[in-house]
Amino acid sequence: MKFILWKPILKLVLREFFIAVFLLLGVSIVIFSILHLAPGDPLHIFINIQTQNPEDVALLKRELGLDRAIPIQYLSWLNKLLHGNFGNSFRTGKPVFGELIKVGVNTLMLTIGSMIVTLLIAIPIAVISSLRRHPVLSWGLTLFAYILSALPVFYLGYIVIYIFTKKFNLFPFLPSGAVSSSKFNLIYFFLPIMVLGVGNGSISEIVRHLKMQLERVLSEDYIKAAKAKGASIWRHSFKEGILIPVTTMVAAKIPFILGGAVVVEQVFNWPGMGRLAWQAALDRDYPVIMGITLFAAVFVHVGRLTQTLVFAFVNPQTGEKGEGD
Amino acid sequence: MRARYIQRAAEVSEFSQIPIWKRANKKDIIQIGFGLLVVLFVLSSYITSVLHLLTYDPLEINLKEIMQPPDYKHILGTDFMGRDILSRIIVGSQAYFMPGILAIFIAISFGTIAGLVSAYNSGRTDAVFSYILDLIDSIPKMVIILLAIAFFKPGIFFIMLIVGITNIPTVASLIKSKVIFLKKRNFIEAAKALGLKTTDIIFKHILWYNCKSIVIIQATLGMAEVILIETSLSYLGFGVQEPAPSWGNMVASGGDYFFRGDFYLSTAPAAAILISILGFYLLGDGLNNLLEWRRKR
Amino acid sequence: MSEEILKVEDLRTYFYSYTKEAFIRSVDSVSFSIRKGEVLGIVGESGCGKSVAAQSILGLITDGPGIISGNIFLTRNDKTVNLLDGLSDYASIRTKRKAILEISKDISGWLKRSESLMKGIRGKVISMIFQNPKSALNPFITVGDQISESIMLHKGIQAKKEAMAIASKWLERVQIDSPSMRLYDYPHGLSGGMCQRVMIAMALSSEPSLLIADEPTTGLDVTIQTKIVELLKKLREELALTILLITHDMNVIMQLADRIAVMYGGRIVEYGLKKEIMDSNSFIRHPYTIALLNSIPTIGEIKAKERLRAIKGDVPDTITLYRGCRFYERCTLKNDRIKKRCKEAEPEMIEIGTGHYMRCWLAE
Repeated sequence: MKFILWKPILKLVLREFFIAVFLLLGVSIVIFSILHLAPGDPLHIFINIQTQNPEDVALLKRELGLDRAIPIQYLSWLNKLLHGNFGNSFRTGKPVFGELIKVGVNTLMLTIGSMIVTLLIAIPIAVISSLRRHPVLSWGLTLFAYILSALPVFYLGYIVIYIFTKKFNLFPFLPSGAVSSSKFNLIYFFLPIMVLGVGNGSISEIVRHLKMQLERVLSEDYIKAAKAKGASIWRHSFKEGILIPVTTMVAAKIPFILGGAVVVEQVFNWPGMGRLAWQAALDRDYPVIMGITLFAAVFVHVGRLTQTLVFAFVNPQTGEKGEGD
Repeated sequence: MRARYIQRAAEVSEFSQIPIWKRANKKDIIQIGFGLLVVLFVLSSYITSVLHLLTYDPLEINLKEIMQPPDYKHILGTDFMGRDILSRIIVGSQAYFMPGILAIFIAISFGTIAGLVSAYNSGRTDAVFSYILDLIDSIPKMVIILLAIAFFKPGIFFIMLIVGITNIPTVASLIKSKVIFLKKRNFIEAAKALGLKTTDIIFKHILWYNCKSIVIIQATLGMAEVILIETSLSYLGFGVQEPAPSWGNMVASGGDYFFRGDFYLSTAPAAAILISILGFYLLGDGLNNLLEWRRKR
Repeated sequence: MSEEILKVEDLRTYFYSYTKEAFIRSVDSVSFSIRKGEVLGIVGESGCGKSVAAQSILGLITDGPGIISGNIFLTRNDKTVNLLDGLSDYASIRTKRKAILEISKDISGWLKRSESLMKGIRGKVISMIFQNPKSALNPFITVGDQISESIMLHKGIQAKKEAMAIASKWLERVQIDSPSMRLYDYPHGLSGGMCQRVMIAMALSSEPSLLIADEPTTGLDVTIQTKIVELLKKLREELALTILLITHDMNVIMQLADRIAVMYGGRIVEYGLKKEIMDSNSFIRHPYTIALLNSIPTIGEIKAKERLRAIKGDVPDTITLYRGCRFYERCTLKNDRIKKRCKEAEPEMIEIGTGHYMRCWLAE
């Protein structure tokens, strides 16, 4: 039986939610402006503008809605979005939403999976070295974490692919050749996650932050008091020393790992958002770009909202951050 | 023996009197030394290219000597066009260094200003600053960079400008939380009550005494991240373009040979990336230990 | 005379200071004992090592370079255990001609050994309350959970509900209003005095044989201090508590302690029953004790608006190896007759009355 004060938590989450929506609106405006201010014309994927007669160009423009003023275009895009319609891709003519979901899920799995792998490596290292019991061991582990972070992810990909294809003959795989989705087996799914989890370059920062926070918490008076009463110091330091810094780091590192995912998608021919984004950017496929940016930004904000929620539940002083300096 | 002991205890009563090299322990020295070696390597690369000290031109194609494994003539071997890999690695370090410094400079200077301003002025100014910073922070870096590349086909300096801008929020939020922490402890009021000038308080007492380690950590982490981004982009073919050498495109062009068993083509530049990033991590860690030393023990 | 519960012999707790490249001898060869049902007060200025001594008993000195040596005998049910047994295998002080050369320490082995020695003792046999109660309670766990945790750990009660009911009773005992409501509060919602009451309830809920009160009134308002002292007094009578009381406040000592140990610069300089030390007829007292007693303002003085009599000079650092008496610099009673002696050699503990010891050349 515990009294959780739902009201302030709900209020906090709602506030964060509105801030997030407001920010997403800003993001969409910024990206939309960049799209339309940048050189290049989406029409070039359909026609050769120089040779086509102007009437056809005008017709096409009207079809795609590009003939109107830019603010109007933005508002109409926003209006569609509010009705759950991301628009249609200029290139394929298919709804953006469907394509986004198809590749977005892949990227999400890659990102979340590798985040878990990263945490599985980083947390034990941080916990062991924050105890200060084995100075040499903890320095060695920290150094190991730094080396993992410094390892370029694409090279790690090469090594892993080489070992699995050449040594174990596990799956026919060449980095430059396309792999059909029928070969989407477990290893194919698993390897990129492992590679990105180990090599995304955030382990060192996570270890550093966790270690710092855990050391601080372990030297708090209340941990000493818990020890004096014979209780487990881990039970008492878990919330402030592990849960809060881990959530902070997860929320902060999502964009970073998304970036790493783009590289790993390339190495492993993983059909994800990075490739779609690149193709769409080359084609000036505005609806797809807008969709991808928004999707990524929503993902980032879901991470932050989760962080807010965890903070609110963990910390009785709702609204105040649990971390001092 | 005892006399010396007593004497020493009296001598070293004040922390500030201990010279910095005495404060450092073996671990710090190793870390900083390693980091400085990496910096030295980059600097020496500029010197060698200015003074034409390299035995082989990194761009010189020599089809008679393609795919030479490492030997005494080519210490790290040659690539598929017969170019000397060592020369290419040395020159390749220039691909990230100056642009990286630009990125770090932007991130830290603007981040510090934004952090200070929004911590000092609560209310509307803070809200506006926070909104802009959050906005920058909401868009994943890689998406923005890809868009910029696709639209503008920019040079590496422009890309690093974007990296710098996207790093502003991190620095700003760290500085801001530090200043707010100091404010809560009535540190700033106390300094004001002592009659210190505002510029003194901000530059000396807030930034130098309390934000030094944030800046150092962010600068070295930033450099490591810049190497990561530059090599990733070059690997993807968006950054430095062949034939100009960059560690990223060297790994990529060696990739096909890697799977045929010729590892050294991409291993050598990958090792260069690893050592450099590690060097900057350790440099930051070591410097931080040294400067934040009193607080730690 | 009742049995001795805790007997501390030659306790030394040293820290290595990297800044000063020397050993801080926080507790330097301290011996005392506590009998069942009595309150031993250790008094001294801040920095004299009294808190470190208390924490050494429960093995709470975990800082890497901290090392404890000596013997701490705990007697319980006619069985005596040494709480520092075997620790010297993991950490030792090598000395040469009295100057310390090196402390070698296997930190992980030392901690493991210490943990195994402390198992079943911390919280169960010896409980502790701390200064600044607000920071000593876990801010992320409710008061009830924290007290019931202690009950469930040490009283063999499995059911949470039962433990909570007991916790509520203990809160009532430490005079907290509407205890069943308070159980669900987080510490940040309580005042400092309430937090200390909760700490006391938590410490006593396991019914320990010894309670260590480490500066129980520090960090509280003066009016609250009085109330906490009164509470401890009341609980002591009700529950026949044995308390090791550590404080810098002579008033607290006067009200609670039966026996007093005065600590100065890591050493006990005077040790004996309160009535002997405080006896105004006894003229043999340690100069430091006299100075401490003089620093308490009497009501007459307050009315006359006299200046408070502080002890001149600073607390000695415990790094320097003094040849003579540690109080020499600040001592006002040193006279020409013994001055040289005070400077040259440190006095031993001299028995000047039954169970009354003093470390001063004046006693001879």
